[in-house]
Amino acid sequence: MGLLKALNRVLALVGKELVEVMRRPAAIVSLVLGPFLVLAIFGLGYQGIRSDLRTIVVVPGNQALPTNPAQYQDFAGPGIRIVNVTTDEAAAKAELAGDAVDLVVVIPADARADFEAGRQAALRVVMNQADPVQANYASFLAETLAADVNRELFKQAAAEGKGYVVSVGGQQLASIPPEVIASPIKAAMENIAPITPGIVGFFGPAALALILQHMCIALVALSVVRERRSGAMDLFRVSPVNPIELILGKVLSYGFLGGVVAFLSMLLLVGVLGVPVLGSLALVAAVIGLLLLASLGLGLLISVVSDSERQAVQLALLALLASMFFSGFILPIAEFTQPVQVAAQVLPVTHGIRLLQDLLLRGSIIHVWQVGALAAIAAVLLATSWVLLRREFRPT
Amino acid sequence: MTHAALAASGGASQCGWRTCIRRDAGACKRAQRSLAWSLADPPGSACSQGRATIAAADAAVVADGLTRIFDDATAVADVSFEVPPGSIFGIIGPSGSGKTTTLRMVMGSIAPTKGSVRVLGDEPLRFRRQTRERIGYMPQQFVLYPDLTVSENVDFVGSLFGLFTWRRRGRVKDVLRLLDLWDVRKRRAKDLSGGMQRRLELACALVHEPRLLILDEPTAGLDPLLRLTVWKELHRIRNAGVTILVTTQYVGETEECDQVALISEGSLIALSDPNGLRRAAFGGDVVEITTKATFDASVLEKGPQVHEIRQTGLREIRATVDDAGEGLPELVDAINAAGGDVEAAREARPTFDEVFAELVERHRRELAQVPGEPRDPEPPVEQVSLPPAPDPNAGPLPGPPSVAADATSASEPEEVPHGAA
Repeated sequence: MGLLKALNRVLALVGKELVEVMRRPAAIVSLVLGPFLVLAIFGLGYQGIRSDLRTIVVVPGNQALPTNPAQYQDFAGPGIRIVNVTTDEAAAKAELAGDAVDLVVVIPADARADFEAGRQAALRVVMNQADPVQANYASFLAETLAADVNRELFKQAAAEGKGYVVSVGGQQLASIPPEVIASPIKAAMENIAPITPGIVGFFGPAALALILQHMCIALVALSVVRERRSGAMDLFRVSPVNPIELILGKVLSYGFLGGVVAFLSMLLLVGVLGVPVLGSLALVAAVIGLLLLASLGLGLLISVVSDSERQAVQLALLALLASMFFSGFILPIAEFTQPVQVAAQVLPVTHGIRLLQDLLLRGSIIHVWQVGALAAIAAVLLATSWVLLRREFRPT
Repeated sequence: MTHAALAASGGASQCGWRTCIRRDAGACKRAQRSLAWSLADPPGSACSQGRATIAAADAAVVADGLTRIFDDATAVADVSFEVPPGSIFGIIGPSGSGKTTTLRMVMGSIAPTKGSVRVLGDEPLRFRRQTRERIGYMPQQFVLYPDLTVSENVDFVGSLFGLFTWRRRGRVKDVLRLLDLWDVRKRRAKDLSGGMQRRLELACALVHEPRLLILDEPTAGLDPLLRLTVWKELHRIRNAGVTILVTTQYVGETEECDQVALISEGSLIALSDPNGLRRAAFGGDVVEITTKATFDASVLEKGPQVHEIRQTGLREIRATVDDAGEGLPELVDAINAAGGDVEAAREARPTFDEVFAELVERHRRELAQVPGEPRDPEPPVEQVSLPPAPDPNAGPLPGPPSVAADATSASEPEEVPHGAA
């Protein structure tokens, strides 16, 4: 009978939570449908194409080089869009300073002469970038451009039959094509991942994990704090309800809501955005279940240490920010220092992202310990919340 | 004396618990239903002294020397009382007097610093679930869920207190009908008026049929009509056999309780039934006499029934007697014998505001007494100096002193025909 009554109480709490959420359209939109819509907009709206860098080529005035941008465009390849060719370096830099262009490429005065004289000529690439990512990208393109120029010089020289490249180890190589002489080794990329990586495919599971974690934290944290503020917690304290039943009620109700959102989001990811599911659906469901459990534990912990809704919201946002920066969602965890890498493992979403990406995009879990880590985080957070809530239930 | 015995004897006039007598049939039916409780006259009432007392084991709540100290401040000091089963027990006092702290110790929310309390036989700090299921609690503020409907709220609380679906359905209906909320059962709690919200909370506290109902200021913030409605419901619930422990800051609501503990500044200053409180405050029944002409009360002497005589106006006298039924005729005779001519005589019923003020003032005086020093002597018979005999050609007579006038006007006179007195 006691067990039945406990079940009765837990079910009452679950029902109450679900009805309460359903009665708040704004809460459904902001916390349940909102993340779902964000995921949809992200998936459908992100092109994954980086815009070309607008570039001015500055040619030396004394060599009568062509000034038609199209000729240089063929040479520059993708990623760089030649908008002008000029001999006026100062004017080009002025345009760069005014953000009219992204790059200024200055052709060396006489590269061939320098080469023949045994000197390296500098192909100067000038940029005006504060964004380190963009700066890296521009540097990469500049390096590629320099390599292309080098190759072109070799090709021209080889084609003209210059003696500096026609013997290797005493063997005559005049019959070798100039492009092979210019580029004896070329990179050939191979990806062993089962699918070709795409932005939406890669970020989709990560966004889902982040959304689920934030939704659970915000919903459960606010729910408990609101009850404490209204005085409902006092009613619980004098009723036969105990902290375990209260926690079970919250976890089951918000876990159910999280499950519904996860199911809908997976339908969106797979059906509309074309994200593959290479792994077992049961494992995906299990990982999502663990992620929800751990996130609810974090939300409960936030709720028991917060004394106001404002504080709960602030802590939930802090958890979201920390998750975005340190979970591997945006920046790889390996790029952080060791202590931060360790701290990142405390966040449920760190494991949720990796496990979901592995399961959906690679077909299996690569680091099985992460499943255990997620379960351990859930257990520790829920147990801590229970201890603190129990203390709150005790007479003062 | 049990309610049933009281009803059977018909000799209720000696009993201090007049509330019980006034409620006659209903109260006695209730008593007959719960004879096992052997409900006795409350402690402190006239008829309880030296006669039947409530065994602590039978009392719904037994508080013994409850004290709670927060940091340096004593919120409740040495409060003891027993709540008879099937009665309304009021803890009454102004805001911040320690009512809610006392209630929270009874509920087990906070632990007493000293003293002990037992509720339905259990210590609140170690309440078993079964005990909790027998208690209904209505907090001071609205703590229910505004987005749930009226019936959903009651249903939820019923589940928490152990009602299964099959029983809950009927109970929700019953309790909503009882509190006139059935017609608004589908309305969300946030859309109810303040009075309806209080009734909804009461419904939630009642849905699981508790034996003990603990209500923290159920009438706070309600208009007088709604307060009356709430008390009417409480009487109905009490008549169904439920023990009610209620706090209120409205001193006037003392009248609604079967027994009252007056608390001020954390201390219990009086514990009795409403009439017992009146008597305790003024040392007996208060009677008022009006003479046809100016009369000097200083010529009167205290008799065996008459304790205190006070001149409250040129023609008005107020006196404290043991019992109005015997003391009033004695006083009228004395006035007549002294040459006065009584125009009207009546038993005055001081308001509970006056009773409370008097008791608090007395308590403060007692606290101000340094231990070992003699107490203040009993206040002397107050005299009003009489002006010279009025000149028939002069204008209207000056009014009585303002204090006396206030005291008189604040009273609730209960007119007694001269002859009957």
